[in-house]
Amino acid sequence: MQSPRYSRSASGLPARCCLSICALLLAGLSMVGWGQSGGSGRLAAADIEAAYLYNFGKFVRFPAVDAQNQPTFSICILGDDGIGAPLDNLIANESIQGRKIVTRRLTSAADAGTCQIIYIGQTEEERLERNLAALEGKPVLTVSGLPGFLDRGGMIQFILQDKRVRFAVNLTAAERPRLELSSELLKVATRVDAKPAGEAK
Amino acid sequence: MMQSPFRRTSIAARLTWMNLLVSGVGLFLAYFSFLAYDLYVYREASVESLSGLARVVATNSVSAVLFDDDTSAKATLSGLSGSSDVVSAAIYTTSDTPFAQYVQKGASPPPGKIFTDKTNQQSWVSGRDVVTGARIESEGKVIGTVYIQARLHGLRKEAIQYANIAAVILLVCLAVALLAGIVFKKLLAEPIVSLAQTAREVSRSKDYALRFSPGQEYDELLLLTEAFNEMLGAIQARDGALEQAKAELELRVEERTAQLQAANLEMEAFSYTVAHDLRSPLQAMSNVCYLFGVMDQGHSPPQKVAMLAQLTATVGTMSDMIDDLLDLSRSSTAELHLSELKLGPMAASILEALAKASPERVVETTIASDCAVEADAGLMQIVLQNLLRNAWKFTGRRDKAAIEFGCMQRNNEMVMYVRDNGAGFDARLADRLFKPFQRLHGASEFPGTGIGLATVRRIVGRHGGKAWAEGAVDKGATFYFTLRAEPGVQLPRLAGNDDAAS
Repeated sequence: MQSPRYSRSASGLPARCCLSICALLLAGLSMVGWGQSGGSGRLAAADIEAAYLYNFGKFVRFPAVDAQNQPTFSICILGDDGIGAPLDNLIANESIQGRKIVTRRLTSAADAGTCQIIYIGQTEEERLERNLAALEGKPVLTVSGLPGFLDRGGMIQFILQDKRVRFAVNLTAAERPRLELSSELLKVATRVDAKPAGEAK
Repeated sequence: MMQSPFRRTSIAARLTWMNLLVSGVGLFLAYFSFLAYDLYVYREASVESLSGLARVVATNSVSAVLFDDDTSAKATLSGLSGSSDVVSAAIYTTSDTPFAQYVQKGASPPPGKIFTDKTNQQSWVSGRDVVTGARIESEGKVIGTVYIQARLHGLRKEAIQYANIAAVILLVCLAVALLAGIVFKKLLAEPIVSLAQTAREVSRSKDYALRFSPGQEYDELLLLTEAFNEMLGAIQARDGALEQAKAELELRVEERTAQLQAANLEMEAFSYTVAHDLRSPLQAMSNVCYLFGVMDQGHSPPQKVAMLAQLTATVGTMSDMIDDLLDLSRSSTAELHLSELKLGPMAASILEALAKASPERVVETTIASDCAVEADAGLMQIVLQNLLRNAWKFTGRRDKAAIEFGCMQRNNEMVMYVRDNGAGFDARLADRLFKPFQRLHGASEFPGTGIGLATVRRIVGRHGGKAWAEGAVDKGATFYFTLRAEPGVQLPRLAGNDDAAS
């Protein structure tokens, strides 16, 4: 169930392929895993997004309380966007900040209480405002590829720029639940929106 | 051989060169060791700072690598342009092409050398450059590597600076060495040179009274000078002593010679006087004998006649002896009147006279026709008479007597000889023949005075020649004489005798 916008053939673009491989590998993919992935001949934007999703975790500092309570690092997926499978592959035996990574598929944003990162899929567009409202004030990093996600109160939005997967950050939204985004992350973001999302509404 | 100016300065020059060499070598050693150490330190420091840079870049590139943001990585790398040494830098992830790179104009990106060991950082030299690598890590995993290639321009700059300093110091050393050379020349070389000059002067002029007067020398030079002067003193003293001894010796020789000559003259004068004074009474005796014989003709008994004959003969012998003595005396004292003579005819006339005196004898004579010499005629007559008379006498018992007079050229000199086949003599006693009053034969056997050969030797000696004899008992005898040891030798002459030469 991939978004047609992001779906590309790796074979058509060798450079992209390399970058994708890099991204995957750098995200901690084992050589074997990479080989299988490469062997499939298809590297999709979903793979890259999955890797980024995992990498975001390294550059976000969650409030101390949350860190103490959670033995695992949960990346939750709300609405499947084809990202689930590659993410599962990716995070197998990986950890962030000493915590084992687990993925959870949510059916409702209300279940996102123990999530550190929540990915909101394309299918959730209509319920987006409600979902975000449900997550309001919770120390959960919200990530989505939905257009206008930042303006609608999301924290990180995947965007396609020059046929590459990039992302933009709404710093205000992230700071509201006291999430600290590393300057390193902001450095590589295509856009950092520091305007309070609430005001933009 | 004169002392050249080069030689004069050579000691100082050599020392100057030695100074230069030593200081130059020392300086070069110091220069190179300092340079090497400094370069080493400089390189280490450079590598250290490069490593720091690499670490910083690695840390700042984590997110760029993770999120595949080469623009951000490039921005980070371009920050390296602040360091003039860095020529290029690159971030490699997994492929051979750099993920991001920064390259200065004209440089090539650093090669993606994959780390061989587990260290997070490594440096190596690539040509003129130093490459430093640092790993980019995230969550304990290596996600890439940063390489920074730097050209250590400072190295060359430092080397040149050191070289300049060394050159300046070398120049200073040169100046100091030259100065030292000048000082050395004044202090050491010049005294040595003047010492050598004095030595040369002494050896050339043989003037051992010369002394070397040093300046304010000290140490070995003073020792050398003193030793030199002492040596000169010793030589001078020895020279003086030698001179004195020689003079004394000469004086003594002169004295002795004078004494000897005086004694000789006295003796000869005495013998001459004796001979001369004996001659008159002897002549009287001879005359009386003659008159007695004439007056008593036919009256006296035969015994008386025989006794008178014996008396007359004895008086004759005595007269001969006196003649010989006078000859001997004259041979020493008479002045030499040299003239060209032909000894052959002279010998012939003497033998003729001898034959006339003893007509009963048969003697075969062989006489050279010429034998021209330069000699005193009177004395030569005495020489030949003595030798031929001897030969005549000692061949008296031969039935076929043979007497030969001749001359031959031998070793550039004329050798005259008188050879006979007479009684001969014992060869071992040949030298005794020429001593006065030495007779080898008894007077009864062969009458004689024993003076003749002594006279011969003396006359020949006065002519600068010598006389000797060869022979054996009953095998005849040969008497040789020369008149001049070498042609051209100035003979002893008395002043004014040339006018009297016949």
